[in-house]
Amino acid sequence: MRVEIADLEVVRAGRTVLALERLVIGSGRVTVVLGPNGAGKTTLLRAVAGLERCRGSVTFDGRPVRPRLAVAFQRPVFLRGTVRANLALALELAGISPADREARIAEAAGVLGITALLERPASRLSAGEAQRANLARALALRAPVTLLDEPLAGIDGPARRELLGALPAAFRAGGGTVIAVTHDPAEAALLADDLVVLLDGRVHAAGPAAEILSAPPDAETASFLGWDTIPGEGGVWAIAPGALRVGRGEVAFSLAVERATVVGGSPVVLGRIAGVPCLARLGEAPPPAPGETVSVSAPRSAVRWFPGSR
Amino acid sequence: MRLRTPAPLVAVLALALLSACGSGGSSRTIIVATTTSIQDSGLLDVLLPAFETQTGIRAKAIAVGSGAAIAMAARGDADAVFVHDPKAEAQAVAAGDLVDGVLVMTNDFLIVGPPDDPAQVRAARDAADAFRRIAVAGVPFVSRGDNSGTHAKELTLWTAVGVDPSTLSGRLESGQGMGATLTIASERRAYTLTDRATYTVLRATLALEPLFQGDAELVNPYHAYVVNPERHRGVRADLARAFVRFLVSPEAQRAIAAFGLERYGEPLFVPADPRAREEPGR
Amino acid sequence: MTLWDGVVDAFRLLGRGDPYLLDVVRRTVLVSGAATVLALVGGVPLGYLLARTRWPGRALILAAVHTGMGLPPVIVGLVFYLLLARSGPLGRLELLYTPQAMVAAQVAIAAPLVVSFAAAAFQSLPDELGDLLHVLGAGRMRRLWLLAREARLGLLAAVMAGFGAIVSEVGAALTVGGNLDGSTRVLTTAIVLEASRGEYARAIAFGTVLLLLVLGTNLILTAAQQRGR
Repeated sequence: MRVEIADLEVVRAGRTVLALERLVIGSGRVTVVLGPNGAGKTTLLRAVAGLERCRGSVTFDGRPVRPRLAVAFQRPVFLRGTVRANLALALELAGISPADREARIAEAAGVLGITALLERPASRLSAGEAQRANLARALALRAPVTLLDEPLAGIDGPARRELLGALPAAFRAGGGTVIAVTHDPAEAALLADDLVVLLDGRVHAAGPAAEILSAPPDAETASFLGWDTIPGEGGVWAIAPGALRVGRGEVAFSLAVERATVVGGSPVVLGRIAGVPCLARLGEAPPPAPGETVSVSAPRSAVRWFPGSR
Repeated sequence: MRLRTPAPLVAVLALALLSACGSGGSSRTIIVATTTSIQDSGLLDVLLPAFETQTGIRAKAIAVGSGAAIAMAARGDADAVFVHDPKAEAQAVAAGDLVDGVLVMTNDFLIVGPPDDPAQVRAARDAADAFRRIAVAGVPFVSRGDNSGTHAKELTLWTAVGVDPSTLSGRLESGQGMGATLTIASERRAYTLTDRATYTVLRATLALEPLFQGDAELVNPYHAYVVNPERHRGVRADLARAFVRFLVSPEAQRAIAAFGLERYGEPLFVPADPRAREEPGR
Repeated sequence: MTLWDGVVDAFRLLGRGDPYLLDVVRRTVLVSGAATVLALVGGVPLGYLLARTRWPGRALILAAVHTGMGLPPVIVGLVFYLLLARSGPLGRLELLYTPQAMVAAQVAIAAPLVVSFAAAAFQSLPDELGDLLHVLGAGRMRRLWLLAREARLGLLAAVMAGFGAIVSEVGAALTVGGNLDGSTRVLTTAIVLEASRGEYARAIAFGTVLLLLVLGTNLILTAAQQRGR
């Protein structure tokens, strides 16, 4: 189901916390809304869910009628009773027949790895377990639109890596539209088909994730996505994360070396370009001494120039 | 999870509870505004059931002071009154609020006080003299202060002595019924004016003795009236008349004469009908 | 000693099933029970609205509720008396000096307590819970019921506070009920009457029974509270 947001504005205590002219969430795709804390991501999600007092319109397949939604808030909340009872209640409210409920619960619990927890009172789950039960409830609904707020918050280690792969697949299999919110660009990169970058209540970028990640449309987006942004004459250079290497190449900068170290198994040099802290891979070259200035470069495809920014 | 919505259940429960409380004002019911002295003595517990048995009319007796009872009548909030404040009664009759008055019974007021009688009230010539002695001695005196018949009588007596009661340092107002006022007087070793019935009923719990009684000035008449239906719509005058008639019927008069004899060794009220006095009992 | 005699008397009367006492107790439970139930029916949803939603006039209602908690029952009784008296605007209903009038006045006394306790109970739930049920498509009544189950500890406290306040109040019961034997005499008004008649032991006996009644109710509700944890 296609979700269209137009002229949305949320004002809280006299401050505009969210202002969107137009945003289209593609049908059947996983769209990740990415932004730092306080950017208005949760507010956007709540506005789509109809929980936020706001101006503007949110339409679903062109109509203002809200379809059945599945939602997983950042704070997992449950009613009294077991995990199974909580999932069953959500399905019951969605009008799923009792016969289908069991199958859906079993399937969602399998994906989230909580089959063994189903009979446990929801009040006695650890933070990570609760979050997985929270996601299982949203998944089991197979709603036309699913809203996930920081879906992987509180889940770490191997489970997180596993879920990063399994979650999008599971939701895609349901065929519904997924809008997820996260502050973590790496998580967004792994989950998203489409990406919406939300900074300070405004959309800075929206489109296929691969395009935005490889070619951020503005300096702020680039910076938030982890690109090094270096002020230049009348604009800003942005260099993709990990693209800088010591030595000559297509686009060259000079790096004031601070120290050499090893990151992710490869030797790197830490230093500053025009005062901005940067990191360049060393490759085969001998490590330069601190205080030395070396030439570093990146391929043209990994460098963007934003004129007029600063 | 049990998921029934409880609203209908709750509504049914509430209705059941309400109906179990009994029916509301039926048409065979009257409200009688009366005085605490009549209720506290227990006389109503004898008279009202007998009235209901005889006539099928339910009398709801609301015990307040005589002043409040007459005020209820003046608003049309009662059907009959049964009180003991001749002065206020006369005003209400003159104003047209009360009609068909009858004398039901009398008893008398007593001046009671601590047994050692510091004001020498025992030696008083008459009621006014007793009050004068209390005023002169400056001893504590507890007034009802509640516009009751007893309160009115007390004020009349102060006026007769020529004393402004508000200037008396020993006098305090309880603002409560006769029973509570007697208890306060007993605890504070004070004098007070009481009707005989309430005093007799409470005597065992009090450190108070009757110090002056028997003056004609201290007669305490109880009258019953019908609230004027021409002035107050909604008054059930026929039923109220039946109640007033019942109070002066031989049966009720004999019951009044007998009331208290067994328990206290003396009657608490004197019925208006002299024949009943000679032949008490029901 | 009168005090001790009264306590002993209470158990003696209870033990032999004194019909007068049982009648008064039964009526006390019915009147205050009905008033509590009605106060809950209106008070819990209002508490829910106060806790969960923002609307114009909410602050006013909250202030009124908190003021109502401190209102002396005798004032409530007087207002109902003036409304229900024959000369009053609702005199036609002929409700004065009936158990129904007592229930009405007691509802007015208990409601602010119930609303306030209910609002606090709902406020203690995470906001997301109500939002979740809303998004999942639960209707208003369903949401209220499900959240009430979550807030049951606080709501049982509301029941105890409401029932406890009205079962032991005398001002309104006396003014509006008139303390009529067999019709509107409840434990508190019976105590007042016995005391004014100088029957102190009996008054204490009735007071003891009232205490036992409140104690019993609270024991049952607390047991329910703990079981539901």
